[in-house]
Amino acid sequence: MADHIRHPASYKDPSGFIFQASEKFYRQVNKIYAAHYDLLISSGLSSLLQQKKLLLAHKEVKENMLHSGDWYLTLLPEQIPFTSYPYEWCFEQMKDAALLTLEIVKLSVDKGMILKDATPYNVQFLNGRPVFIDTLSFEKYDPSLPWIAYRQFCESFLFPLLLSHYHKTGIQPFLNSYPNGIPVNVTAKLLPWKSRLNPGVSLHVFLQNKLSKKSKNAGQVNSFSKNKLLNLISHLEGIIRDLDNTDKTEWSNYYADSISGGEYLGKKEEIVNNLLQKVDGRKILDLGANEGFFSHLAAAKNFDVVAVDKDDQCINTLYKKIKEKNITNILPLCIDLLNPSPASGFAHNERASFGARIHTDAVMALALIHHLAIGHNLPLSRIAEYLFGFSHQLIIEFVPKEDEKVQLLLQNKKDIYPEYTREHFENIFRQRFTITEKVQVPDKYRIIYLMKRSTET
Amino acid sequence: MHLYILYIDPGSGSYLVQVIIAAVLGLAVYFKNIRMRIRSFFSRKNKDEIPPKDS
Repeated sequence: MADHIRHPASYKDPSGFIFQASEKFYRQVNKIYAAHYDLLISSGLSSLLQQKKLLLAHKEVKENMLHSGDWYLTLLPEQIPFTSYPYEWCFEQMKDAALLTLEIVKLSVDKGMILKDATPYNVQFLNGRPVFIDTLSFEKYDPSLPWIAYRQFCESFLFPLLLSHYHKTGIQPFLNSYPNGIPVNVTAKLLPWKSRLNPGVSLHVFLQNKLSKKSKNAGQVNSFSKNKLLNLISHLEGIIRDLDNTDKTEWSNYYADSISGGEYLGKKEEIVNNLLQKVDGRKILDLGANEGFFSHLAAAKNFDVVAVDKDDQCINTLYKKIKEKNITNILPLCIDLLNPSPASGFAHNERASFGARIHTDAVMALALIHHLAIGHNLPLSRIAEYLFGFSHQLIIEFVPKEDEKVQLLLQNKKDIYPEYTREHFENIFRQRFTITEKVQVPDKYRIIYLMKRSTET
Repeated sequence: MHLYILYIDPGSGSYLVQVIIAAVLGLAVYFKNIRMRIRSFFSRKNKDEIPPKDS
């Protein structure tokens, strides 16, 4: 019993909850949900969704592990290697998560069930694709009623996507401010006037906003039908499919546009490939991944890669690429290292901070340090201390002041970085790591290091 | 904001809007069907007209 921990975010639904036992996540199904669960199985919906890889696969465990009075069944779902949150996804990931949810509603209705909630927290990314994880979200479908989760779907999927589409920004700032969805009145105020010309937006946002202010009574509706519901779902699907937040940022095409593009990359690729061969373990975190050029190198060597960058457009491009090439071992996420996702939710423990979720064997930090040290004045010692916190091995690049990119950073700034030298960088990192390899990028001032935690060499 | 809004089920408030949207979508499909029927009526007529011209 002692090592069984109930997940702190799993309290909203009386149908059951998630708990952790011997480092595995389980889901308890409570008696109150028994009829719905049995229908999920007997209707064939569960196996259909699992077969289509839309629902996380799970095994039934007939053991009351927590000795709970409400116990009906225990499920052991396939484990998710890295939990991510919607405010860390790029636009395309959010779009796919929304379309997945709608697809599941359509398939469920066909089998006499429906989703009783629609939140992106019920979706995780596994093997490069979104998958629905909440087995207890399904309930028996009553065709005379509209969709109970419609408003939640709008607030937590549709509205952030619309705002991102019309303003050409990432979705993260919206979801960081409104982690449980953006209220319709806020969305209506934030959308530009031209969005009203889109009939879908005028119905799902502006009409809904108007009605939400007026309706005093929740309304007794019993004249809905399956056909109407499917029309509504298809309509939402159509709107979401057409959304796109593509915009050129300073970081998109960073490598393709750089003056020394192709040749430089080729040399760097060779160096990184060599160093990757000397990395132990199979998990790599690529910090400042840009469009994932080096994440792909690591993935090709069978590492499981979490690729993070603060730029939504770069992560979008990377996500589209892994989808197109069917790459299963890269998880792209939008993370700003200067402001990574905090621990949030009730009592700060519903959703863990990004730092608390990092479990990696090695970290790649290529062309990153100068942005932190010179772009954001972070002392090298703080950077070393931070990386030491979770990396056993480092593939790290030092870009000295002579480099054209650093010159660019210093162009409009006073050079207040007398300590930003290769020697100082090495001295600082040597306090915590052992430098096992050091390779100069030919014709460049840049140096790429392989370092291992001092205690482990 | 009226207080009672805070106490009703967050989902049920959205029923009315779905009923209206479904009705609008139903009408859209209805008119689309009529348009298609008219179009196919004329295109059939055109087809009927074409062969005599060709022969």
